[in-house]
Amino acid sequence: MFAITHRKILLIIAAVVMTTSILLIAILGLKQGIDFTGGSLTEVAYETAPTKEQVEEAVAVMELGGSSVRESIEDSGRSALLIRTKDLNEEQRVQLSSLVTSLGEGGEVTRFTSIGPVIGKELKDKSGWAVFGVVSIIVLYVAFAFAGIGTPVSSWTYGGITILVLIHDVLIPTALMSVLGYTLGVEIDVLFVMALLAVLGYSVNDTIVVFDRVRENLQLNRTEHRSKTTEVGMVKEEITYTLTKPYEEIVGNAVQETLARSINTSLTTIAALCALYFLGGEVTQTFSLILLAGVLAGTYSSICIASPLVVAYAEWKAKKEKKLVEQK
Amino acid sequence: MYVADTTGIDPLEVPELMNVLREVIDRRVNIFGVSEPIIQVERSSFVTENPTERLVVELPGVTDVSEAVAEIGRTPLLEFKLYSQNLEDQQVALESLGSLGSTSVAVVGDVAVDGEEISPDELPFVDTGLTGRYLETAQVTQQGPLNEYAIQISFNNEGKDLFAEITREHVGKQLGIFLDGVLLSAPVINEPIVGGTAVISGDFDLEEAQALSQNLSFGALPLPIELQSTQTIGASLGAGVLDHGIKAGVLGLSLVILFMISWYRLPGLVAGVSLISYITIMMALFQIIPVTLTAAGLAGFVLSLGMAVDANVLVFERMKEEFRNGSSSRAAAQSGFRRAWSAIRDGNITSLLSAIILFWFGTSLVKGFALVFGMGILVSMFSALVITRTLLVALPDVHMEKGGLLSLLLGSGLGSNKAKKKTN
Repeated sequence: MFAITHRKILLIIAAVVMTTSILLIAILGLKQGIDFTGGSLTEVAYETAPTKEQVEEAVAVMELGGSSVRESIEDSGRSALLIRTKDLNEEQRVQLSSLVTSLGEGGEVTRFTSIGPVIGKELKDKSGWAVFGVVSIIVLYVAFAFAGIGTPVSSWTYGGITILVLIHDVLIPTALMSVLGYTLGVEIDVLFVMALLAVLGYSVNDTIVVFDRVRENLQLNRTEHRSKTTEVGMVKEEITYTLTKPYEEIVGNAVQETLARSINTSLTTIAALCALYFLGGEVTQTFSLILLAGVLAGTYSSICIASPLVVAYAEWKAKKEKKLVEQK
Repeated sequence: MYVADTTGIDPLEVPELMNVLREVIDRRVNIFGVSEPIIQVERSSFVTENPTERLVVELPGVTDVSEAVAEIGRTPLLEFKLYSQNLEDQQVALESLGSLGSTSVAVVGDVAVDGEEISPDELPFVDTGLTGRYLETAQVTQQGPLNEYAIQISFNNEGKDLFAEITREHVGKQLGIFLDGVLLSAPVINEPIVGGTAVISGDFDLEEAQALSQNLSFGALPLPIELQSTQTIGASLGAGVLDHGIKAGVLGLSLVILFMISWYRLPGLVAGVSLISYITIMMALFQIIPVTLTAAGLAGFVLSLGMAVDANVLVFERMKEEFRNGSSSRAAAQSGFRRAWSAIRDGNITSLLSAIILFWFGTSLVKGFALVFGMGILVSMFSALVITRTLLVALPDVHMEKGGLLSLLLGSGLGSNKAKKKTN
């Protein structure tokens, strides 16, 4: 299986991709939308739109502090402008909408969202806790479900690797968002968080399917030895397993056997997401793009990162044990 | 979205007060006949340091937010003001009235302005600090020689003292009673009133009097509320998104089913039926459980649809292996389910656990995602394990070696052709 035989190169690629993603996010940053910072977002659609500068000047007259104007297309296809300001009260909202709608022909406020800074903060705090909770429960469940998998690595390893792969899958769409924010001014909002949560679910499922096959193949290709020892009057039964095939071959076969499933599932998901991207309208476009990136990353990583990593870890562990034996 | 100010209130009483608040707002919203308003009490969870009580009001079909906000927040403002001819006092009165923003003032009762409309500038009244905040009850009574309708109000203890003090100190002066900045009546204070009740008289008929007393009672909100955020989704936007969403959904689903059929043939068709029933069940559930299908819900739906497809794919791949190894199609289907079960189980349980945690910790949007996702997982497992299974097992039982059309239809994917050559 290519993924196992070329595991060193694949793992180096993964490390490079992850480092690049982290650097991109760190350097370019993420443009936080009003969902996080609090503030107001007003979308005004026009038959004939004024220039961005005109609107900027008009908004500046209101002296709201920092504000930004971005060009966009409204959902029914009219050209529109997105005006981002601080959290507006009712009076200011009315003033702003009458001001900007008069600038162009057929001006109409098509969307107004106002979020207090408290909600933004709460969203941030809670998202952190939620992700922490989800990650912990995944490690615990995988460790539990794969318990008794025995040689050569423990079930905790599978849980840990699931999380590492998960980080990889979440980093890539985040880095993409960071680039989009830098080049096109796309802001992260609640939808982005939703997309990441979906990627998270997808990634874990993908990894588990491959590991499930590894578990099954391990059970098929091993011989069982039972030894009974009596210790302080208690009979202790110890079960040890000997694999009839090399571990890397077992893992390789598992990847091979689940390859068709991995590709088919991601192809169907990608087809559905493409439909959402092209037909879903502007609101869900970024959302489907992020999911697409996540699904691609998830499929790739379940084949080319998860299994090579578990084999590499087993190899490293075996070497370490051998050293210990030699030292004795 | 409103935030209730709960400072100085026994935490144990808060949930009850919030419910009263919800009812009050509900009645107010219902008065202006919005179709299907949704009013929910929400509590920010224990994760944040200061839990806040929230009231979320959703009004479908209301286009003018400012009007709706004004209506909801409309606590009839009852004020008591003293008549004064001092010019400086007039100045004060002018400012306080100006801030109310009332444009027309109708004068009723015994003020000597002959019922003409006057501008607030000319009203020589000063604030006393006594307002409807101190109101305890309001009810309709009849009084005077003509049995005119009036509203009898009684103050709480604090208001009673304040009222007594005002009336004691200003005997002989006129006390103006204002409702929403409109002067209703300005009786002369004949003697100090210590009982804590007052009568608002005006030119009311029965209906007006009842409406006013109701508004005053409803107006006494148990908790002060503050508008925290508003969100308008324009009708065109909502309709546009829905329209696009349906188009994208139909195309997406057709692509998925087409792919499944071309790859897995007859079982693929079975998967298609199972997926459509999955969507039907979900839609039915959305009708029963009041989930507004927001973008967050959409994300959960897309993801759980992916899981539903995946369960089918897992089973078919296993089934294909068994079929190629010589099992009959029915036996292959049975063992395909048996052997794919552990992967389906583990994948779905981790997802379900994640959904539960997200629902637990999340803000309302994350909760929406988690709820739809969680429901989707359960339904997708049902559709894959029950519907797909029943249909697959119901198909005619064939062996691969026998060949023929049915065998070709059941042997799925490119791999099966190769295998067929081998067995021949």
